[in-house]
Amino acid sequence: MKKILLLSLIALGTLTVKAATIGSTNKLTMVADTGDTPLTISGSVDAYYKYDFAKSSQIGTSFASDHNSFSIGMVDIALKKTTGKTSFVGEVSFGPRGQQQSIPAGAAGDSYHIQNLYVNFAATDELTFTMGYMGTFIGYEVISPAANFNYSTSYLFTNGPFQNAGFKATYAFSPKVSLMAGIFNDGWNAYTSGGKVDNFGAQLFVSPVDGWNAYLNVITGYSAGTEFDLTTAYQITDAFKLGLNAADYKLPSYAGKGGFSGIALYPQLGVSKSVTLGLRGEYFKAKATTTAYSSIAPGTSVTALTATANIKSGNLTIIPEFRLDNGSATSFLNKSGMPTKKASQALLAVVYSF
Amino acid sequence: MQKAASKGRLLFYISIMKKILLAAICIIFKITTASAQADTLVIDENNKYIYYQVVAQAASTADTLHARALTFAKKAFVASKLKFKDSDKGTIRATGGVLVSKKSSLAMHEDARIDYTMTIEVKENRYRYWFTDFVIVPYQRDRYGNFVPLSGKNLALEKGLSDLSKKDFDGYTARLLANVKDIGNRLTVYMKAPVAPVKKEVKKASIPATNW
Repeated sequence: MKKILLLSLIALGTLTVKAATIGSTNKLTMVADTGDTPLTISGSVDAYYKYDFAKSSQIGTSFASDHNSFSIGMVDIALKKTTGKTSFVGEVSFGPRGQQQSIPAGAAGDSYHIQNLYVNFAATDELTFTMGYMGTFIGYEVISPAANFNYSTSYLFTNGPFQNAGFKATYAFSPKVSLMAGIFNDGWNAYTSGGKVDNFGAQLFVSPVDGWNAYLNVITGYSAGTEFDLTTAYQITDAFKLGLNAADYKLPSYAGKGGFSGIALYPQLGVSKSVTLGLRGEYFKAKATTTAYSSIAPGTSVTALTATANIKSGNLTIIPEFRLDNGSATSFLNKSGMPTKKASQALLAVVYSF
Repeated sequence: MQKAASKGRLLFYISIMKKILLAAICIIFKITTASAQADTLVIDENNKYIYYQVVAQAASTADTLHARALTFAKKAFVASKLKFKDSDKGTIRATGGVLVSKKSSLAMHEDARIDYTMTIEVKENRYRYWFTDFVIVPYQRDRYGNFVPLSGKNLALEKGLSDLSKKDFDGYTARLLANVKDIGNRLTVYMKAPVAPVKKEVKKASIPATNW
């Protein structure tokens, strides 16, 4: 009996020590958590091979520009840090896609390599101020290959703004509705203004149901003209997503009549955990009477159909793509160098994102 | 007569020892039961992941614990990590989320957020809390270089392996567990202290103006 009692007391003592260890949480203080995050790094690397069936590059949209060539896109690195209510993003890129094909050169003709460079201040949970050089809020597609489904780009993307430098305020009425308004430099895609800050931009975001996001955008100014843009995407089922982009651009009055308008539809279907198939069907029209856009002459139009697959393996995405453009006029050349209404290309791209 | 007295004392000692032994066994059983509550994510009767803890806190009324739990839910964390939802008769509910990264990723950035609900229930001298309703919200890169929620692709944690590799899923759940434990540990601090969160004060050095 004494032994049992002794063993019991030893066990009790051991458990008491263990309980004291578990309960030793008094090192924690009651200072509220601030939400600071460590410096985060992300980015991508991309390369491609393209073959244009006219044996020279005919489709004048952005990127994937080289015919019959293994070519590089860019290495893109973004840094982000949040401290309390403030955060910054600095994104640099190197390579054709990340330099002359997407950002302006500096005064001496060199590249600053800057895709995004801005600072955020969250005045409240709802209201955020942002200032700097930012990827544009207009349009469906973006410069980063890691954030696009198709590797080649639409006419609407190529001819709209890429970046806007300025100051903007965003107010979130709820997680489903927000409004952004800001002032921007006089020229699109420029690190500095031409002497004026005369562009006004606004974006209304609504999310009518879970999985459906819609952005109604406008940027307007005396120097750069006016573009209205609707960008929306709806993840209708786990496997099927439908995106839409429609835009209308009008040249500034001093530049004469002209501009462009268009619409693009983006259906995508996930056929397995790692494979998604998608189409992009786009109609694009260059308005009469002064300016051509991506070799589409004033008063003519083009219909472009792009079939793309995204095959994912970890961080790597393999993108086979076939594209057929059909113009209302002879906007392209065939392999004999004669004008033609049709152009087609196939490409294989690899994008590694981190 | 002496024999009878000796026998009586023996019976008395045996009786005392029996009581001590019984008490010891009861204490051992209670502590063993308490420590049997898993300090990890487990699957509950609804086939959902849950993190569940019961904490005894002597000399604390239910009202006191309720008030302190309310302060915790409203003040302890930024809203993205824990946000007070509602309270009702000894029950406090909050929602939150933790950012997680894939182990296969080279860089340190958000790959997803795991949302959860936290429930705290108080009684006299004890309280319990649990985290459940875990939902994975995948993140994707936006045009501004941020990683933001991918709309319409939410996935219950219980189905995580249908979209994630085992390695990434284990990484997600390890981060999630560390996060809910951190919140639980902070809750124990708030439940013991009756005051509102205090800010760290920097002690000002007194520099003599003349006599130095």
